[in-house]
Formats: sequence, structure tokens, C-alpha cells
Amino acid sequence: MAVFKMAKVVLNRLFQKPATLMYPVVPREWTERTRGHIDIDVDQCIKCGICARKCPTNAITVDRDASTWEIQRMQCIQCGCCAEVCPKKCLSMAPEYTTPNTIKVVDKFDIPVKEKPAPKAAPADGAASGEDGLKCNAEECVYCGLCAKTCPVGAITVDRGEKKWEVDKDACVQCGACVDKCPKKCLSL
Amino acid sequence: MGKRTIIPFGPQHPVLPEPVHLDLVIEDEKVVEAIPSIGFIHRGLEKLVEKKEYPEMVYVIERICGICSFGHGWGYCAAAEGAMGVEIPDRAEFLRTIWHELSRVHSHLLWLGLLADGFGFESLFNHCWRVRETILDIFEETTGGRVIFSVCKVGGVRKDVDADTLKRIADTLENIKAEIKTLCDVFLEDVSVKNRLVGVGYLSKQDAIDLCTVGPMARASGINQDLRYNGHGKYLEVGFTPCVEEQGDCYARCKVRIDEIFESIGIIQRCIEAIPEGAIDVPVKGKFTGEFITRMEQPRGEAVYYAKAFDPGKETNYLERMRVRTPTNMNIPAMVKTLQGCDLADVPMLVLTIDPCISCTER
Repeated sequence: MAVFKMAKVVLNRLFQKPATLMYPVVPREWTERTRGHIDIDVDQCIKCGICARKCPTNAITVDRDASTWEIQRMQCIQCGCCAEVCPKKCLSMAPEYTTPNTIKVVDKFDIPVKEKPAPKAAPADGAASGEDGLKCNAEECVYCGLCAKTCPVGAITVDRGEKKWEVDKDACVQCGACVDKCPKKCLSL
Repeated sequence: MGKRTIIPFGPQHPVLPEPVHLDLVIEDEKVVEAIPSIGFIHRGLEKLVEKKEYPEMVYVIERICGICSFGHGWGYCAAAEGAMGVEIPDRAEFLRTIWHELSRVHSHLLWLGLLADGFGFESLFNHCWRVRETILDIFEETTGGRVIFSVCKVGGVRKDVDADTLKRIADTLENIKAEIKTLCDVFLEDVSVKNRLVGVGYLSKQDAIDLCTVGPMARASGINQDLRYNGHGKYLEVGFTPCVEEQGDCYARCKVRIDEIFESIGIIQRCIEAIPEGAIDVPVKGKFTGEFITRMEQPRGEAVYYAKAFDPGKETNYLERMRVRTPTNMNIPAMVKTLQGCDLADVPMLVLTIDPCISCTER
């Protein structure tokens, strides 16, 4: 049974530096891995929209027509899911936290419009792209070409006259934009 | 016999860390009956399995609770891995064990602080949380997050920790051990603290069994039940001793948690010595299949995770059902039992010593 057990702790701490920082005068030191906020390299972005689809809180919006990428900073939970799934690795996690705010901040980035690369090979026979990756069910496909128009990297070729559908497996980033757009739901990843 | 009065206690109350409401039926200064009610922070997280693909669901499950977030993430991943028959690498399992035990240390230090705050010992509360900061800094350095780590994934872990950092963690823990010991001595030996804890809220071993208590609450009543024995993680490989006390009062519950802090530090140090080199994850592809139930020892006790895919042939990337049974859920009946007949002034102690986490309970 002891009475002044705490006195030892208190006296010891009297001669030491405070455990807290004088925020915001003294800046906080971030570690290399700190998940602070999401950064985007707009030059690399292909507007595929995987980040928006995978985001657990739907904080990201990709507008392909307006060529913008926007993030709601207060809705973002800094999980890093978007940076992990980005096929071009143009999203990254930066260590600094965003500035505290009283309003809901939406950061909007303009993505420079790039020319779509021309499809590499002429359409070949066969409607499936292989074992992995994007597949097309040839029985249901109506060869409308919406997938080819949607594809951010121009990996799909559709020939309506010849009834041929082909994907360039090397170019495909498996973003799933075509799968969402397909009116017959005959594409799958 | 005095007149019976009902005193509403919570959901907003200075000593309550989380919103639980109790209707306390008072006769003179004694509590005759306590009627708990929850439902203030239900967020419907289990229902989200229908909207989020199973790899992304980890981020949602981790946010069930801020204190045992890693445990929840691990529990879900273990259930998913079990259902799909995925074997994860040894190094990933070691890293998970280390992070989970660090979570236990920070959870118990947080709880000690809250307990000190509950009996009005503000400086002790601040010192407990000051030491806890060291653990949070380790988390930030190794995972990137201080509270929610997002490192667990179906098939392993997302981030590796190099040997230098692991050694530094072991050294840091060795250094703060003395500091934690000094603070724990205040809890265990100071006369004013003992007056608030010893003999308060007695729960007999039989009652603890009948009321299905779990975790430190059960171990403080003499039940040697620790889910770390069931084989998840690397606990059996590195070895550990469950902390059991016989007295069943608030002091015993405090002592169990204090002993667990030191036991966890030992487990982490042994894991760091034994951790093998190798891969930290295995690729998991395809649709979610199967059904699995797994049990984990969270800082608050046993938690159960259940994951079920859609019927064979109709599998998707979504789960049909996800269920979590959290430890606080099981300890509330025991809390109600101990509240009967206690002094009104002891109510905060009794509520705090089950270490309630209502966020987990309601999800």
C-alpha cells in the first residue's frame, strides 16, 4: 500500500520536455509511409475510372467527357485503395495531411486530352481475348462498338461488317470501363 | 426502504467513452436494477458487403472500431482466406501478429487512461495516453496510419517492415516497459486507486460462465479462456501465458489488462526474433467462394467473424452475408449483473471495467 505513488511520475516529468507539440507553430514531422492525402499526376492519367469504382467511400469522380478527376477531401479516408489499383500508377499517397477546414473541399484536376493510340493489329478471328483479362461473349455481342469508343487506351477493335471483336491484351489496362458501358452486358473481366 | 428513482445514465456522460444508455433504478444510494439500451451509433456496416467487392470490404470492416481496427481487418481476412482456401505466407502471419499485439498494448493503455479519468485521476490519464503515443508512432511508421492501418488484405499484408525497423520497435518497447511499469504501479498500489477498485463489482466464476463473458472480463473471474490458443497467428509458435486472476472485481480486471500489456510486449519481441524472410502476400484472384467462420482474441475478448459467398455457381465478387459478433456484446449481461446492488458512485467503474466498445457492438 503506497500513498504518493504518482508523485514519482509527476516529479520526473517536471524536468522533461512536454510530450505535445505547439501546434500549429511547430510543424509535425511525417514518416515516409504516413497516409496523408492522395496526389495525382494528371499527365499520366487515362481517365479509366478504376479509382472511382474501387473507392470504398465513393470520394473520387472521374468525368471522361469533361476530362476532369475530382476528389472530395473530407470523404476520402486515406485508405490508399485507389493508388493501389491505378493501372498507370498516376495516383500516389503523399505524407502531409490536408489543411484542417470548416467546409467540404473538392479538389478538381483537369486531365490533358491525349490522342488515343491507334489500334495495333487488324482484327483477327475469335471473340475471346484469352484466359485472363477482358472477355467477350460472341453469342450475345451486337458489335455496336461502344466498348471501343469507351476504351481509354484504344485496346479494343470492333469490325461490324466482319462481326469481329478483338482486344489487344498488352494495351488493355483492365479498367472495366467497357464492361460498364456494354449495352448487352456481354463483356466480362 | 427508500423510494425508487430512475436515473438516466448516458449516452452522453463525462465518464462514458462511447454511447451506451443505462436506466439506473436507484433506491437510496444503491442501484437496484440497470436496464441497458444501445442503438445510438448503428451504421449498417455489415450490409455494405452487398455494395463493396470483397477485397475492398476490408477497408469498411476495419472501420467498425478505431481501437481494435487491425483485429477486425484480420478477422475478416482470415474468414475470407478460410472460405477461399488461401494459405498465407509465414512472414505475413508474423507481421499480423505483431500489429495485433501492438493494438492490444495501445488498447489497454487507452483503457487504463479512461479508467483513471473515470475515477477522476486526470494526470494519470494523460500519462497513460502519453505512453500510448509511442505505440501510435510505431503504427504510423510501419503502416502509414495511426489508428486505421489498412495493411491487412485478403491473401496477406500490404506493407513489409524491414529488419532495422523491427529491431527498433523491439528496443522502443523495451524502453517504454519501465515507464508503463511505473504507471501500472500507481493503478495497482496507490491507496486512493485501490479504494475505488478493490472489491467493487464482484463477478463470481460461475456467473462469468453463465453470462458467457469473454476476454479480460472472464479471465479476471478465473476462467482461463484465451482465443489466442486456437491457432490463429503465430501465438502458439512463439508461446505466451494467459493472464488470469481469481478475485473477479474491478481490481482484478485492471490487473489482467496490465499483465496483458507486458505479455503482449513479450510476444512482439519474440515474434521479431522469430520472423522469417519471404513473401508478404499471395495473389488472390477470382470470385468469392465458400463459407467460413473464424474466432479471434481481440483486446476486449473473443470476436467471431462469419463470411458466406453466394450459392455455388452464382458466386460474385460480393459476399452474401458477413457477420461479426463482438466481445462487448457478450459482456453487457455481466455488466448489468454487477451493477445490481452497487453504489451509484461505482457505476462508472463498473461500466468502464468491461471496456465497452459500443461502436463494435452496433457496427
